Amino acid sequence: MAAPHFLTLDRIGKDYGAFTAIREVSFSVAPGEFLGLLGPSGCGKTTTLQMIAGFEAPSRGRITMDGRDLTTVPAAKRGIGLVFQSYALFPHMTAAENVAFGLEMRRVSKAERIKRVAEALDLVHLAHLADRFPRQMSGGQQQRVALARALVIEPRLLLLDEPLSNLDAKLREEMQVELRELQRRIGVTTILVTHDQSEAMALCDRVAIMQGGRIVQIDAPWRAYDVPADDFVADFLGRSNRLPACAGGGQAEAGGHRFALPPDLADRQGDILLTIRPERLRIGNDGAAGLGGRVQSRLFLGGFWLYAVETALGSFAVMLQNTGSVPHDEGAPVTLDWDAHSLRRLERA
Amino acid sequence: MNGRSNLTPALLAAPSLVVYAGALLLPLGGVLLLSLHGFDFEKGILPGWGLENYRDLLTDSLFAESLLRTLRIALWTTAICLLVGVPEAWIIYRMAPRWRGAMLLIVVGPLLVSVVVRNFGWMVLLGTTGLVNQVLTILGVPGAPFRLMFTELAVVIGLVHVMVPLVVLSVWASLGRLDPVLERAAFSLGASRLTVFRRVVLPNVMPGIMAGALMVFCLSASAFATPAMLGGKRLKVVSSMTYNEFLNTLNWPLGAALATLLMVAILTATLIWTRFVETRAMRRLGEVAEGGKGGSRA
Repeated sequence: MAAPHFLTLDRIGKDYGAFTAIREVSFSVAPGEFLGLLGPSGCGKTTTLQMIAGFEAPSRGRITMDGRDLTTVPAAKRGIGLVFQSYALFPHMTAAENVAFGLEMRRVSKAERIKRVAEALDLVHLAHLADRFPRQMSGGQQQRVALARALVIEPRLLLLDEPLSNLDAKLREEMQVELRELQRRIGVTTILVTHDQSEAMALCDRVAIMQGGRIVQIDAPWRAYDVPADDFVADFLGRSNRLPACAGGGQAEAGGHRFALPPDLADRQGDILLTIRPERLRIGNDGAAGLGGRVQSRLFLGGFWLYAVETALGSFAVMLQNTGSVPHDEGAPVTLDWDAHSLRRLERA
Repeated sequence: MNGRSNLTPALLAAPSLVVYAGALLLPLGGVLLLSLHGFDFEKGILPGWGLENYRDLLTDSLFAESLLRTLRIALWTTAICLLVGVPEAWIIYRMAPRWRGAMLLIVVGPLLVSVVVRNFGWMVLLGTTGLVNQVLTILGVPGAPFRLMFTELAVVIGLVHVMVPLVVLSVWASLGRLDPVLERAAFSLGASRLTVFRRVVLPNVMPGIMAGALMVFCLSASAFATPAMLGGKRLKVVSSMTYNEFLNTLNWPLGAALATLLMVAILTATLIWTRFVETRAMRRLGEVAEGGKGGSRA
């Protein structure tokens, strides 16, 4: 594919009467890219997906795929594969018949159909369940059939609408790995809509974080996590602690503790709101240099300990790797410490 | 302890069993017994037992003719009701929610009007000088005015009018269990509107269509007032023959035999329908209804 951008949304907007669901959304997806549309419910991510799929017409703007204007092309002619949150398998058809449906619509010959259906079911490791009806399959299996059904038509674009949210935690993790691997192998351009930030970060090459009908930040997951564009993104992607401080001379003071500022904030003066991720904090024994506090609670998460430390500046979440050392007791006086480069300044939204 | 828990289901079912036995089986048994008696115009009902009534009816060409007419009218009514009712339910289902309620009320309308009033309405419309023939005459349709009243056509029209709501409502109930996302899934796979209806919607509402068809058939085959009013005295159906024997000829045993034969005919048709049409269609769909209840899609 010669086009550097496979799919482009150019200043798309959507109104429902007086209500504006999408204010203005623009982004491009490269061929083979896995993009995540991430945001809380009501942020417009599903509406955006519906417009790409062709179920909703945008009120403003243009959608182009492979250089062709999609705006007036009906859903049935877009050649886009869709996986729905509820899977939407045809209940009166077997797994194989479900997968074959799209090929029948494309008038693929019977012999070819049988071959491609078998291949698609094989791809999702369900060849042995081809003759089962959806109701006879588990949620995870139905999910795979839905994926096979969307992929068998060799779509130019794959849209996933909260595909894993109906699965239990363990299965969801397995499917994440599998989905990622499958997408890589086939190389199909994919857009995932989800409200689950960990899912988006695990799967996607880039995430577009949406809020109030617009994209707040579009970036690689780790970039968005480490350098959030604003307060909302910082809060939405993982947890963060707020540290209101008073800056001056390359240093800052908070709760009686003086600490260094990172180079990009060194020339700040006066009040400043800093944030720091729970995994960037260290807990020291009482008396060590740092912000004084007391262990409020601790949760053992297997690989990690999650502490809540009460300080003069409020409660801090601290995530410590379980290295086998003796944990801090609840109620024990401790100090919090960190590296200067872990600090971020929060833009006030 | 054990004995009590074994009795519980029977005790719980007892009230409905009493109602069934008292209100259904007892009268039916009475009719059956009555049909085995003889009848004489001088002496009334004869005390002896025998199958003469059935022998007389089954060799009577007039009965054969009216039984065939009854089944023919019921089949036509069922077919037309399905052709009208299924798309009607589908169209209403696709309407904006605020229109749906009003439309359903209009659909149910015929059921709210007394059968006598409704049929008089059709008599006015279908008469030789009625509105339908007047319009046809004005339009210059060759052969107009037609004889519409007291024909099977009039009976079918009258029955369809009141039976369509039954199909609409039972299909409506099935549509409510249909996941609306299925349509979108089918569209995304390249299906046209018609294909979506034929391949996705229709199979999933089949249980509702089957149930509606069965209801319409049974009610049409046993309908009395509409055939009597729109079909007239000469166009006999089995139920009007039965009425005649009971109230005009006063040959109650023969009327009871007629009623029994009609019931057997309807039951047979129902069983054939369930066995050969419904079972085949349900083999794949049966569990769809189950899924709707159990929530495998939830």
